[in-house]
Amino acid sequence: MSFLQQALAIAGKDLRSEIRSKETVNASLSFALVILLLFSFAFDPGSEETHEIAGGLLWLVFAFAGTLILNRSFARELVNDCLDALISSPASGAQLFLGKCLANYVLLMIVECVCLPIFIIFYDVRWPKQAWLLFLVMLLGTWGITVIGTLFSAMTVNLRLRELMLPTLIYPMLIPALIGAIQLSTVLMAGEPLGPDSAFGFKLLIGFDLIFTILAVALVEIVLVG
Amino acid sequence: MRLKIMLVLAVLSGVILAWNLHTMFLRVPDELNQGAIFRIIYFHVPSAITSFTGFFIAMFASVAYLASKNLRFDAIAASINEVSLAFATITLITGSLWGRIAWGIWWTWDARLTSYFVCWLLYVGYLMLRRAIDDPTTRARLCAVLSIFACADIVIVWKSIDWFRTQHPGPVLSIRNGGGMAPGMEAPIWWNLLALLLLSAVLIMMRVRQDAIEREIESMRRYAHAF
Amino acid sequence: MDQNYTFMFYGFTAAWLVVIIYVISIALREKKLRAELDRVKRMVDDREHQAKR
Repeated sequence: MSFLQQALAIAGKDLRSEIRSKETVNASLSFALVILLLFSFAFDPGSEETHEIAGGLLWLVFAFAGTLILNRSFARELVNDCLDALISSPASGAQLFLGKCLANYVLLMIVECVCLPIFIIFYDVRWPKQAWLLFLVMLLGTWGITVIGTLFSAMTVNLRLRELMLPTLIYPMLIPALIGAIQLSTVLMAGEPLGPDSAFGFKLLIGFDLIFTILAVALVEIVLVG
Repeated sequence: MRLKIMLVLAVLSGVILAWNLHTMFLRVPDELNQGAIFRIIYFHVPSAITSFTGFFIAMFASVAYLASKNLRFDAIAASINEVSLAFATITLITGSLWGRIAWGIWWTWDARLTSYFVCWLLYVGYLMLRRAIDDPTTRARLCAVLSIFACADIVIVWKSIDWFRTQHPGPVLSIRNGGGMAPGMEAPIWWNLLALLLLSAVLIMMRVRQDAIEREIESMRRYAHAF
Repeated sequence: MDQNYTFMFYGFTAAWLVVIIYVISIALREKKLRAELDRVKRMVDDREHQAKR
């Protein structure tokens, strides 16, 4: 089997098991809705100030909800020694990692695509004129979150304090990606055209994704196996 | 031998610091706008530079561990990161006090401060990860990977927050007021930097030795249980 | 200006406090490790004696 085929096989396994049980996506979606509710108390939903920080709120929701999905990613393999079985399979660490990454990416994108219209309705934000650009930002930003989150999920899977360590470790790491995504989303949702300043945001997202994907694929074998 | 080196470095560091205190208080005049408080720069900037140097070198130590699997490199990386984090804390605290006087605020979210705070958080996470893992080899392995990621992230974080703050023009704080200090005033910074680097070298050597003792205790315990 | 000097001393004090606290924590750790090492050494000696008997 080629590299991609094995990675896709693992991604398919994860997605299939998730589609059958729907537990992670449901939990993540519920959590996202709760956060949107809490934000409505913290910030005045209709005001102009909230529109200015709309991008920030949106990506905070995505980041928090995403942590649930990422945490489960490797934690689900602990039962019945499935993780050991996966590691000792012919699939290399990189293939296992990419497969999990792809699965997490799909799940997180599903959650985000459901959350975005709800956010727009709740917070009285105009549907962005260049919706496809916003979608592009979501694609790029989510990949950044997924890559870092999946690697650190692999790192923290065997720790007692897994649920505590994962958020503590990944949020500082994700700041560049979140900053790029937040800045671009705020501009797009305000309906303003993207200027030359925003080009840096895209460069930041793409650069972040590239650098950390390469770094993660290079080091994941060490994390998983030793 | 090792103890002698540590003693020499410590004494050297102490001498330089003491001499600098003399220079800072008696030779260098008060700065025009800020008065006496600006002297904090003589600890603030060297601490910052020391911490960054440490984090960077620790990354190389982590790579060395992954290449050689020698736990000594892991001990070195962890010790350097811990000591650098202490100096990073000093930087944040002195910076905050300085800001209170020079700009009237304890804290602000300008690019430099924010990036530095993120850096601090990354390495607090590193120390937390070290404490969370019991097995020495696993701990060394995972912390080495984290150290590499954190160091790579520092640069990206810095650039990204810089850009973000130009999008939302926030407070712009210049540590070197208007770029460039009078040459007489700048020298103590570099001397203090040397002193702090020597001091951190001493502390790192102490910590590395403690790690070696811990490993010895572990191996003796295992030996004892073999009976 | 007076306030300046006060804060400067606060700053210096804070910086040195952090260093001193850190050095003390290292020293305490050293003491604890030495005690532990002695204890484990004694345990190994005891077990060796017991094994020889």
